Amino acid sequence: MGVFVFLPLVLPVTALPIARLAEQHLHPRVSTRLLTLLAAVLGLCSTLCLGLLMVVGTAQLPGNPLPDGWSDPEVRAAVPYAEIAGAAAIPLLAAALTACGATLRRHRRIRARAHRALDVLPAGADPAVLPDDEPYAYAVPGTPARPGRPARPGRIAVSRGMLHSLDEDERRALLAHERAHLRCRHHRYLLAVRLAGCVNPLLLPLRSAVAFATERWADEEAARTVGDRRLTARAVGRAALIARPGAAPELAHFAAPEPGPVPRRVAALLGPVPPARHWPPALTPAGLAALVAAAGTAASALSALNAAVALFLVLKAATPL
Amino acid sequence: MGGTPFGKSLGDLGGSGRERARRRGQGQLEAQVLAALHHSSGPATAAWVQQRLGGDLAYTTVMTILSRLHAKQAVTRERSGRAYVWTPAADEAGLAALRMRRVLDGEPDRDAVLASFVSALSAHDEQLLRTLLDRAADDGPAPGAAAPDGPGHRDPSDHTPGG
Repeated sequence: MGVFVFLPLVLPVTALPIARLAEQHLHPRVSTRLLTLLAAVLGLCSTLCLGLLMVVGTAQLPGNPLPDGWSDPEVRAAVPYAEIAGAAAIPLLAAALTACGATLRRHRRIRARAHRALDVLPAGADPAVLPDDEPYAYAVPGTPARPGRPARPGRIAVSRGMLHSLDEDERRALLAHERAHLRCRHHRYLLAVRLAGCVNPLLLPLRSAVAFATERWADEEAARTVGDRRLTARAVGRAALIARPGAAPELAHFAAPEPGPVPRRVAALLGPVPPARHWPPALTPAGLAALVAAAGTAASALSALNAAVALFLVLKAATPL
Repeated sequence: MGGTPFGKSLGDLGGSGRERARRRGQGQLEAQVLAALHHSSGPATAAWVQQRLGGDLAYTTVMTILSRLHAKQAVTRERSGRAYVWTPAADEAGLAALRMRRVLDGEPDRDAVLASFVSALSAHDEQLLRTLLDRAADDGPAPGAAAPDGPGHRDPSDHTPGG
């Protein structure tokens, strides 16, 4: 197997250029799905790889419950630097799993707290208008049913400050945008890429890429619902301008800074409708990006699978049972 | 982030981390006091509220919170003998707003769960955005757009000339 064993750990490096290309050339819906799938597959392969390295590299340590046969010379010969890699894999795997657990817990806690806050309002209040001068609008995802608690549908919370600063048409665009978030279950994509980022930090660029793609997706849905792209662009732009200007952290820029997400969304809405094809033609940059993404994902998945199967066979042969 | 629910903004923009932590604690207490008042069948005294909250808070603290809620028009008070009796003025929506604010201020990393309509702008973004919107408005009225969109109408709350 050689150094290819480590490939699934390093292949997520391709995430950043793929995310860039997808944003420029794909419909936000396709982009969201593709990037989330990429994050999930690469994250799973990377975790699998770490787990196997840990098994092989540490089976020999005293006090280890694993069979000693699993770290026979022939098994370790299959993995370069087996001891070092195995020892390094333990804290990495532990850190990844801890981070995933913390992310899941935080996700549940924030969702539950937001629902509790809105519980005092009647369930039919859609959107839930909150008497607050601070302009904000949020989509609170629904929660599935649990024993002893019914399922809660997703809700939209809009502050009075936000509603007052938009006109009637812009409010429709705002609500259509938030409803699209709930209907298309964007929080699931966001959670998936967040978990992938916990598992392998090389996947972190996908987090902001998918966050941006879901916003663009919701913008496109809103524009379709209200039937006016320019109106939707105006709603997004005005909402951003009233929402506490200058609150963003101002980083020192050496060159002209790259535009942030809101101007890019407005510019995209003022432009033409993005092509809704599922797969772009192969000889365009978009097509090449998609091909690279598919090839990278496939290579990562195959090498992880290859490593898993080979290790399984070797371990089975080494086990006396 | 700054600002206060219920009418008047007290002008606490931005602020340091310590400042924000202090305000978050206040928000929690205010929601608790308001919830306690909602459970009362009629006007309640500060001592009743204190008892209702389990006696963890000093009487003066309860009085401070009630006065603050009064300043925000979330409660009303009237004199009864030598003390005030308090009635919640904020309805359920007001309480929900207070609680929601608590979640938003208390969870800095909430973006993956609660999808916000817009994210914060940097100064450069703001300038860029104004240019984009102006250009869109200059291109003529959008098909189906209702109101004529003059410069004053576009930007009612924050009329700062230039970036």
